[in-house]
Amino acid sequence: MEYLSLFVKGIFVENMIFAYFLGMCSYLAVSKTVKTAVGLGFAVIFVLGITVPINYLLENFVLKEGALTWLSPEYATVDLSFLSYIMFIAVIASMVQLVEMIVEKFAPALYGALGIFLPLIAVNCSILGGALFMQERQYPSIGEATIFGLGSGVGWLLAIVAIAAIREKIRYSNIPAPLKGLGITFILTGLMGMAFMAFMGIEI
Amino acid sequence: MSTETTTAVEPKRESLFSKKNRKLLTDPLDDSNPITVQVLGICSALAITVQVQQAVIMSLAVLFVMIGGNVIVSMMRNIIPDRIRIIVQLVVIASLVIIVDEVLKAYSPDISEKLSVFVGLIITNCIIMGRLEAFALGNKPGPAMLDAVGNAMGYAWILLAVALVREVFGSGAISFPGVGQVKFLPEGWFMANGGFYENNNLMILPPMALITVGIIIWIQRSRNRSLIEEN
Amino acid sequence: MAFNKNSNGYTFLFAILMVVLVGAILAFTSLSLKPMQKANAAEKKMMNILGAIGVPSERGAVEAKFVDFVKERVSIDSEGRKVGSRSGTVEAGDAEDPFNINVQKDFRSKADASTLNFPLFACNKEGQDLYVVPVVGKGLWGPIWGYVALESDMETIYGAVFDHKTETPGLGAEIKEGFFQDPFKGKKISKVAPHFEVVKGGAPTTEYSVDGITGGTITSKGVGEMVDRTMSIYLKYFQSAPKAQK
Repeated sequence: MEYLSLFVKGIFVENMIFAYFLGMCSYLAVSKTVKTAVGLGFAVIFVLGITVPINYLLENFVLKEGALTWLSPEYATVDLSFLSYIMFIAVIASMVQLVEMIVEKFAPALYGALGIFLPLIAVNCSILGGALFMQERQYPSIGEATIFGLGSGVGWLLAIVAIAAIREKIRYSNIPAPLKGLGITFILTGLMGMAFMAFMGIEI
Repeated sequence: MSTETTTAVEPKRESLFSKKNRKLLTDPLDDSNPITVQVLGICSALAITVQVQQAVIMSLAVLFVMIGGNVIVSMMRNIIPDRIRIIVQLVVIASLVIIVDEVLKAYSPDISEKLSVFVGLIITNCIIMGRLEAFALGNKPGPAMLDAVGNAMGYAWILLAVALVREVFGSGAISFPGVGQVKFLPEGWFMANGGFYENNNLMILPPMALITVGIIIWIQRSRNRSLIEEN
Repeated sequence: MAFNKNSNGYTFLFAILMVVLVGAILAFTSLSLKPMQKANAAEKKMMNILGAIGVPSERGAVEAKFVDFVKERVSIDSEGRKVGSRSGTVEAGDAEDPFNINVQKDFRSKADASTLNFPLFACNKEGQDLYVVPVVGKGLWGPIWGYVALESDMETIYGAVFDHKTETPGLGAEIKEGFFQDPFKGKKISKVAPHFEVVKGGAPTTEYSVDGITGGTITSKGVGEMVDRTMSIYLKYFQSAPKAQK
């Protein structure tokens, strides 16, 4: 089943954080407690799950060479791919603005806890990375592209919740003061990254 | 930062290199380092620190885009509507990067080849967006430019430090832009030639970049105790 | 402030103006620079083809060398039949010129091979006939491609160059380096599948395989796959084409 394979690959083999190391800034900064980590993780899943299919439509009906043929056959040689970055980012930024408004209305505590990192989802490399991977891999259908987006989001959620859980537990460990907080998180992430390398190259 | 409480007197135009402005240049090197304190720009710190020459090129590119972005957004700060400010910031950054990329592809194709990998990474570099949001939107172009330079320097030195460690231990070489990789360990040392030394291949892989930054943070916070996080 | 910058009307107007302005600037930049960019890309392609037959070249002085060494450019279809030919200077706008076939784009479009044409570059270096085959495939992170030069028996590899977009530096990216490319010289393309292989470091190599890069397994295997797949098409042409006996 292609869909299941894509989904599972997005969580483990091609985990946005541990395989591609995208989306690290918010991952490192918002993983102090599991609650905020889960909140941000779901926000990322939502944004990825919506922006990848929208960008897929943009890529295939507007941007790539020959995409505009549905408007008129004479546009077959028009190549708008130089606009890719800007259009993908515009879509992502609009979605994030939408998410920001929803979170502010329905979960104000989460909104306060996330701080600047909610609008920073817009520049979260994993979201743009998702769009660019989708463009590079040329998924044959919007369904596959969406499943890829959702799978990547779940992988990101898994990563941030895992590190948040560890960080909560090690609050009571004897870590040297200069290493507390950010320092030990970097080292832990490095170790988790090494562990996830075991998944590299697995064909599902 | 001192606050002037005079009211009737017209505010003096601050010289570009006043004490307050000089702090904009020096703070990001240590106290408010974008990578180790503000937690921004991590993705590129991992991806482009395999070779020193990559780190140099990326730092220069980020410096250029940050100065351009900070100055442009600062000049526009009074006319950007609040509701779309993130999109506007992103569009400014993306346009700058795309223009740089297109110009390089036409006039310096070899440099462009090396840089094209980074183009996406520069646009999403949280430092650029973070400083636009935190500083450029609320300050004049002059200080905004200094803030850009300061943060770019803070970013650059961490990048170069990590790249140096990774390349020296991972490839036994240092690379310079334009010159390429220069291996400095004697060939006879390597096990393949009957010696005792092997390059630490783990250094070339991303997890070691994370651990190296963690150790840099450790050293930084041991020297600057004000940065230590109390749980 | 004389006007309310947060009013709906103004926000809308600002957004529209920004879109128009940015769109215009980017479109202008891209369009005006496109001819130079295309020329640079074509030059790089020529440099790579010359590189496969061991002729070094510098930017700015490539086209003359290319025309000198590459005697004929041939295009074949997926059944190995010759469908087109050109020689002399390359006209950038000539869609029928085999040089202008964009193999990377064709590969990415995942179009069926039967609908595509494939270019072949017949060269002559110091009296020796050489044939350069472009290959394209997938690495770990992105596309990889290269040019494999065959001797006049259309079987022995004279040389090969490979390139990539985003492979891991120090690992997969090393397919650009001499130590990976040199062992290809003297190896042969097998007439039965697999036509060529890149094996994992340590495994014994035959005259139809080379060593991969340790730590860069996926990229190395990508090279092997693309050479194998491409050669299976070109072999159909080689079997029917007149060639010198070794």
